[in-house]
Amino acid sequence: MEVVRLESCLGAESDDETPHGQYTKDDDEEEYFYASGSLSKLQPRKVVSKARWNPEIEMAEVIVQKGSLWKTTGIARGGIVCCSIEEVLFLAEIGALLLLDDFSAVISLEDIYTKVANGKSGCNWEHFQAYKQLKSLGYIIRRRGVPWSLKGVNGGNECVSSKGSLESGLLDLESEDKRSIIEMFSGMQINEARPVFDVYLPNSKFRKSAPGNPSFVICFTRGHPPFRAELEAVERQCVGVSLKFCHVEHGRVSFFSFDLVELPVLP
Amino acid sequence: MGARWKGKGSEAIALGDPMSKIVLQLQSSLIQSEAQGLLCGCSVLLAVEAEQVDLLNRACFGKLITTAEKDKKWFQLGLDEAFYLCYSLKCLKIFGEDKCLLNDEDLWLCIKSKKAMFPDFYRAYSHLRMKNWVVKSGNRYGVDFVAYRHHPALVHSEFAVVLTEGDGDTNGRSKMWSDIHCTTRLCGGVAKTLLVLNINKMVRVLFLHLV
Repeated sequence: MEVVRLESCLGAESDDETPHGQYTKDDDEEEYFYASGSLSKLQPRKVVSKARWNPEIEMAEVIVQKGSLWKTTGIARGGIVCCSIEEVLFLAEIGALLLLDDFSAVISLEDIYTKVANGKSGCNWEHFQAYKQLKSLGYIIRRRGVPWSLKGVNGGNECVSSKGSLESGLLDLESEDKRSIIEMFSGMQINEARPVFDVYLPNSKFRKSAPGNPSFVICFTRGHPPFRAELEAVERQCVGVSLKFCHVEHGRVSFFSFDLVELPVLP
Repeated sequence: MGARWKGKGSEAIALGDPMSKIVLQLQSSLIQSEAQGLLCGCSVLLAVEAEQVDLLNRACFGKLITTAEKDKKWFQLGLDEAFYLCYSLKCLKIFGEDKCLLNDEDLWLCIKSKKAMFPDFYRAYSHLRMKNWVVKSGNRYGVDFVAYRHHPALVHSEFAVVLTEGDGDTNGRSKMWSDIHCTTRLCGGVAKTLLVLNINKMVRVLFLHLV
């Protein structure tokens, strides 16, 4: 008999119960402030990167790179670093990136939120919440199916859009990248549950040219826990990688894994 | 089980600063500034001034997004909260993902398309809010809402709220005794009473059953 073990993980606060019926610590007061005064303020940054939004590929091209954060953010594309809307928004929110338009005018945070709201850049608000939570914890994240680096010589021939589709001429990919792109396309079918982000553990030696396999893949469903058939379909798409299903509600991000276990026969 | 106030003086603070008054102040501040929200997935984002941050926090609407922006502060509201401010309190205009202003009906339909059970959830949310209870998401406890007598910094929540609809059940819950045991066990462990809110479409009256 198979058993699926369900566990919640990754930074979600736990309500630990004492066995003697006493009241547990009530976590309700987290982030609630009654007296006036704003929440934690971000320290203003001295070093700020700049990127220009390219609406044709729905990504930002970095023009000024500051700081070591770029070791684990953005994809390398013919000498330019490009980042997706979720990477842009995360960095813009913390004041580490200024996003510019074609006229070098700053694109406001409000306009970046609007880009996420209209979903054209391939990341919706719930996906962004998950990205932000994990990124804040130090994980390294990329969209599943989008290679970390593209070795094409001519920038004009390549096009990696936020949806991961490729123009012809872009053939110099590692086989791992090809496989993940195929997986992504095969996943974009009837399945309600789909893998969205590859996540790597925090790693100061991370290299985009040789990222290795992700530690786990974040999946989303359409408003309900995954049905067994959905779970199995995603497992087939992502062979050999641990899956975590994400639920975002009212600003709270939870991750669940559903693992198949074989219970031992006890003596 | 009555109110469990947090620390000495919390009850007095709450009595001196009733939630109805805080919500009224928030309402008039948002009307005055012609507040606009952006519908973004299953949230509404709202840019506000410092004074409004304080009112939103004290009235327990939404959650501040920590950003480096100095002049504007951003709040993330749940769909129930945003719709309440927009439709019931008439102090917020909401713009869709295409930057067009949504009238009440379009907003309702739009939210329903994202969340099929929104009508029942909203009835429960607005019912409790109009009685000046503070209502927050119950997903931490596996229930639909938690209800507080005043601000969560001053008082522990009293009720864990589960919705049922008509004769059936909105959330597929309470079909088995084990569900009831599960939810009451959890609620007991965190000192909340389970409130089963029944939404009757025909009569449009809510009967509250204390479990």
